[in-house]
Amino acid sequence: MSFKMEEKIISKDDLLKLCGDVIAKGHTLLAPGIAEYEQVKDVSQIRLDSSALPTKTSYKSYVFPKAEPILYYKRSKSDVQLIDVDVNGKKIVVLGAKPCDTNSINILKHLFNWDYEDEFFNLRQKHFVIIGLMCSSFDEYCFCTSVGSSPVSEEGSDLFLIPINEDKFALRIITEKGKEFIEPYSEFLKDGDEAKSNAVLESIKKPEVAFDSKQVHEWLGDNFENPKWEGIGNVCLSCAQCAFVCPVCHCFDLVDEDYSYSEGRRMKNWDGCQFGHFTLHASGHNPRDIQSKRYRQRVNHKFRYYVDKFGEILCTGCGRCSRGCPVSIDIKEIVSNCKD
Amino acid sequence: MDELRNYARELLEKEEVAAVIGYQQVTEKRTKPIVITDPAETSRLVFNEYCLNNLAVYLTKARIRSLMRTKDKTMKLAIVAKPCDVHSIVALIQENQIHRNDVHIISFNCHGVVKDFGCDFNGDNLAAKCIKCETHKPLYFDKIFGEEKQTPKAGDASLEKINELEKLNSKERFEFFKSEFDKCIKCYACRAVCPLCYCQRCITDKAIPRWIESSSHQRGNFSWNIVRAFHLSGRCTGCGECDRACPMDIPLSLINRRMAMEVKDLFSFVSGRSLETPTLVGNFDKKDSDEIFM
Ligand code: SF4
Ligand code: SF4
Ligand code: SF4
Ligand code: SF4
Ligand code: SF4
Repeated sequence: MSFKMEEKIISKDDLLKLCGDVIAKGHTLLAPGIAEYEQVKDVSQIRLDSSALPTKTSYKSYVFPKAEPILYYKRSKSDVQLIDVDVNGKKIVVLGAKPCDTNSINILKHLFNWDYEDEFFNLRQKHFVIIGLMCSSFDEYCFCTSVGSSPVSEEGSDLFLIPINEDKFALRIITEKGKEFIEPYSEFLKDGDEAKSNAVLESIKKPEVAFDSKQVHEWLGDNFENPKWEGIGNVCLSCAQCAFVCPVCHCFDLVDEDYSYSEGRRMKNWDGCQFGHFTLHASGHNPRDIQSKRYRQRVNHKFRYYVDKFGEILCTGCGRCSRGCPVSIDIKEIVSNCKD
Repeated sequence: MDELRNYARELLEKEEVAAVIGYQQVTEKRTKPIVITDPAETSRLVFNEYCLNNLAVYLTKARIRSLMRTKDKTMKLAIVAKPCDVHSIVALIQENQIHRNDVHIISFNCHGVVKDFGCDFNGDNLAAKCIKCETHKPLYFDKIFGEEKQTPKAGDASLEKINELEKLNSKERFEFFKSEFDKCIKCYACRAVCPLCYCQRCITDKAIPRWIESSSHQRGNFSWNIVRAFHLSGRCTGCGECDRACPMDIPLSLINRRMAMEVKDLFSFVSGRSLETPTLVGNFDKKDSDEIFM
């Protein structure tokens, strides 16, 4: 499936008009707010600031909710009746997604279509339109360039914005889905100059590459037992802040919630591999009984197992987990240290 | 800083302590916890306005406690603790989680810390707990460093918010907390950082029977946050770590502080202030008011 990228220009005013129309049509419009991607109710909320750092959380919850019912059940003496859940497949448009977020759903897609096709995820994903925005600043926790991405990466975006000046954006149509979405607004678009916006992209300062992910992959294979893990395990507090703010962490737990003896529902809830009881077996045995083993799992899953299984690193380099860690554990530092 | 480093190094060299739990600098305006067993590493220790973590949380961790025991002897744990962190240590001793003789408290005269990493240290950026701090000097310690300095002046915004919520009727107040708890993602970072959330198995992790729904929907979030608030009433020392750790910016300290005010009014008790008085819930006084029974 190859789609030829098209280069257009859109003014900020017209872009906001487009957003107003998306809201008026009853679609969900998400844009980075202060702490999270917020549902835009009024276009005056929109900042479109390419220099903003990643929000505390990603928009993962819109494709993989923190807690969602996947079926309802009714129980009688002789029978159990299952009732399907109608997935709300509403169109969701993300405006100004960071390049360290845009590819997250593509990375997650592998997992949710691996041995079982998760219809909840797939239906939501089908209705997602991602409008990425080039990123023009980074902090000490960013490392997109070490995981094969960059602040100007268009990967995962259906449409991609590059600020040309105060009130104009270059708008790149990257996918068929993006083209379909933008077609009704063609009156807002003028032909763009690819060389000009490329020059903007080239002028952007990018975080230095902190590690070689291939070497990390190899080191992890040879260093399942390494005293380095113990040092981390002493400090890490076993919460799930890092997993829950991560755009690509995807562990979940299935639990049944009974309202009464005869009725209930099955929930799919976020779970995190740093919790002590995450791997606790019914027998009482826990293969990851101490924190060092759990943190080792976190790094291995991201930089080795997922790569082996699906060919992609399970990390976009957004740095959220490190920025938010209550004990300042920095995954970039740890992964950079995955060498002898 | 040299004083602290030399002191810690000596403790380790003389084998008076098994480990030193302290802070190391990460960037100019950020520190992070470090657990030191090698005397050479003590050169990384720092103490300043960016030492936000309450390290008392590590005192009950099995893997840290396991450091205390070597083949032939049992040693103490040394901990760098702000005066307010000492309150947590006191509470842990009172609740029989650690023994006073098992900890070597290295404390400081303290004039406050910033509310978050990266801020400049001044009145506008003072941590909420420092605005209302009544200690500044540790109540208990084995070694104290630092000179007494003036804490920057700042208004008590958290108390103002509590008073504001107090004026609302119960329905409005419920709406306020509903919108806050709706944000909760059940990452349990609040529990992880809390020195007094030391239960080996938290009630919220119990599955048979399940007391608290693990789903982070409204009912699950209310049960979790309310159970936590109740379980910490009369025990929370007001260190503010849960508030700082919450990735969703839920103002947990409003609840804990309000509960602490209630406890103080009803029982004249403040958690973690004295090794001589028993814990609040572990002590029945005939004079206690019956009003508290629900
Ligand atoms: S790395 Fe930080 S955020 Fe993650 S589990 Fe450990 S303490 Fe929590
Ligand atoms: S592991 Fe951390 S840096 Fe990587 S994608 Fe997840 S939150 Fe971002
Ligand atoms: S509350 Fe008091 S003792 Fe604690 S950091 Fe603030 S000023 Fe220091
Ligand atoms: S509840 Fe919060 S403020 Fe109270 S002791 Fe625990 S972490 Fe500190
Ligand atoms: S830290 Fe915040 S989001 Fe996480 S469980 Fe506690 S209240 Fe909920």
